[in-house]
Amino acid sequence: MQRSKTVEFGVGLFILAGILGLVFLGLRVSGLTLGAPSETFQLEANFANIGTLKPRARVTMAGVTVGRVESIDLDTQWFDARVKMRLDSELEGQLSRDTTAAILTAGLLGEQYVGLSVGGDPEALEDGDTIRDTQSALVLEELIQQFVSSMVKD
Amino acid sequence: MFLRLFSRLVASIVRLGRRGCSVIEALGRASIFVARSVVGVPSGEGLRLWLRQMHFVGVLSLAIVLVSGLFIGMVLALQGYTILIDFGAEQALGQMVSLSLLRELAPVVAALLFAGRAGSALTAEIGLMKATEQLTSMEMIGVDPLRRVVAPRLWAGFVSLPLLTIGFSVVGIWGGYLVGVQWLGVSEGSYWSNMQSSVAFFADVGNGMIKSLVFALVVTWIAVFQGYDLIPTSEGISRATTRTVVYSSLAVLGLDFVLTAVMFGGL
Amino acid sequence: MTNSAFIEVEDLHFSRGGRAIFRGVNLTIPRGRITAIMGPSGTGKTTLLKLIGGQLTPDKGRVLIDGQDVHRLSRKALFALRRRMGMLFQSGALFSDLDVFENVAFPLRVHTDLPDAMIRDIVLLKLQAVGLRGAHALTSAELSGGMARRVALARAVVLDPELILYDEPFVGQDPIAMGVLVQLIKRLSEAMALTSVVVSHDIKETMSIADYLYLIADGEIVAHGTPASLDTHEDPRVSQFMHGEPDGPVPFHYPAPPFYRDILGADPTTTTRTG
Repeated sequence: MQRSKTVEFGVGLFILAGILGLVFLGLRVSGLTLGAPSETFQLEANFANIGTLKPRARVTMAGVTVGRVESIDLDTQWFDARVKMRLDSELEGQLSRDTTAAILTAGLLGEQYVGLSVGGDPEALEDGDTIRDTQSALVLEELIQQFVSSMVKD
Repeated sequence: MFLRLFSRLVASIVRLGRRGCSVIEALGRASIFVARSVVGVPSGEGLRLWLRQMHFVGVLSLAIVLVSGLFIGMVLALQGYTILIDFGAEQALGQMVSLSLLRELAPVVAALLFAGRAGSALTAEIGLMKATEQLTSMEMIGVDPLRRVVAPRLWAGFVSLPLLTIGFSVVGIWGGYLVGVQWLGVSEGSYWSNMQSSVAFFADVGNGMIKSLVFALVVTWIAVFQGYDLIPTSEGISRATTRTVVYSSLAVLGLDFVLTAVMFGGL
Repeated sequence: MTNSAFIEVEDLHFSRGGRAIFRGVNLTIPRGRITAIMGPSGTGKTTLLKLIGGQLTPDKGRVLIDGQDVHRLSRKALFALRRRMGMLFQSGALFSDLDVFENVAFPLRVHTDLPDAMIRDIVLLKLQAVGLRGAHALTSAELSGGMARRVALARAVVLDPELILYDEPFVGQDPIAMGVLVQLIKRLSEAMALTSVVVSHDIKETMSIADYLYLIADGEIVAHGTPASLDTHEDPRVSQFMHGEPDGPVPFHYPAPPFYRDILGADPTTTTRTG
């Protein structure tokens, strides 16, 4: 009887460890948050070119992560990329209307993310608003092309 | 001369046909076998038997799987770092380690280790029970050995391997962290944040788990069937044990290609 | 009533791997008696028990147990019938993951809802009958061959079956263990009015307990009768077996080409091909 108890205990620990492992993979490795959706608000921004930005990429302010990219689709009216972002709700009503969004790159070849910087407009962005002032991703080929053509002009 | 060549040709076609038939027959027997074993999730007395098998199949495989996971994570970080540093992209180390583990290495390597550690033991154990007439005697007592002996083992294998795979991934990622961050000096923040922004829970962790479930089913099925179907002599047991490891390794690697093509290859 | 047939085997044909093992076996096993089925090794005596127990299906013919055709029963009815049978296997076939007590209790736990205290009493009673009550806590690996067989016997009779099949109960036992088993089989079958079928090639022991004997050779019943009548049987095949003569209808030599050809001919492979 004693032995079967230790077996059961061992198996229980094993299953528990498996579940904890899965939680670790969810929270720590794939960055899921347990927070309810109500704690965020949504902003949109149109970019002429998003480079390699992907859903779930970080949205930062002054280098601090404040949200994630929720979805990216093509705006068929202007033929540019429409990026929806979810930001922490504590920023709701704090960002000025002329806030700019730029797609930045971590390191030379690293992941791309959205960087926000605040302007001076007294009016604030609310849930569902669109950021007007955006800056596209740097595309290496375009940079090189500009560089080469400016060389030719010289 | 021609006639002899012709009759040889016919003979080899006959041999091929006979082999084909016996393979199909074995597959059929294996299917009936698994269908008759897995009627209903174990409950009551079956649950106790299942727990016992979870111990033998799962808990006792934990050590080898975790140690292997740790080393593979560490090696991945070491190798990845030397490649990534050439591109100045060592921040992507976390992404590389976690994606290779979650999508590929954890399910496959854990399944191979599981086949070697637990699969061969299952085959030998059931084979020994067959050789010592325990299965026949169970049948004569009026208990279906498929329900009593085979089913708990099948279920235990099916549940254990995914759990072991999770353990493998976690320990591997931690091993990568030890080597990459603590030793080679990648920044801790970029190791984790890069990982978090590139790993998608359902696409990466989820697909890895699906792979692992498929492997668990196949490996345990092969192991248990080989044990049940072997020739009950000591030579038969040793051959069946070898077959278990060979067949399940091949099945895992082959299925891995198919599953990867379907999940990540855009098929 | 005691003389009516409990098992009837009719025109049984069975072959395995293209080799005919039985070619029309007929036998009846009377109720409440010890019937022995004897024959040289490799004549399929164990196979016959498996056919009776419904583990193998014959090519032709049928086996009736208490009027039921074993091979036409549904799986459920077959398992119900098997509850009325016990079988003692050559190796004992104790479950290696259970101790002696649990091995004997196994059929009770599976087939009855008896309370633990009653199971304990029944098991100890049966173990007492085979003289191993003191060994109830041992694991099956700690038992000697003879003890394992006695535990298996206790397990086979724990549900109070009507029929018990013994597969080579005396093989590989020392004289003491053999004597104990002979006594046990005899006593159990008398005390419980069991129908017993003993498959064996140990002539002396089997003769001492059997009421009736069947002798199998070459896939057929070659003789049957009481032990005394078989002892003086005229068929040379019977007397060779009964008296253990080394040569006779069952030849000492495995079939081979004539000896002088193998000795004189340089290449044995060519001689076997032509022979």
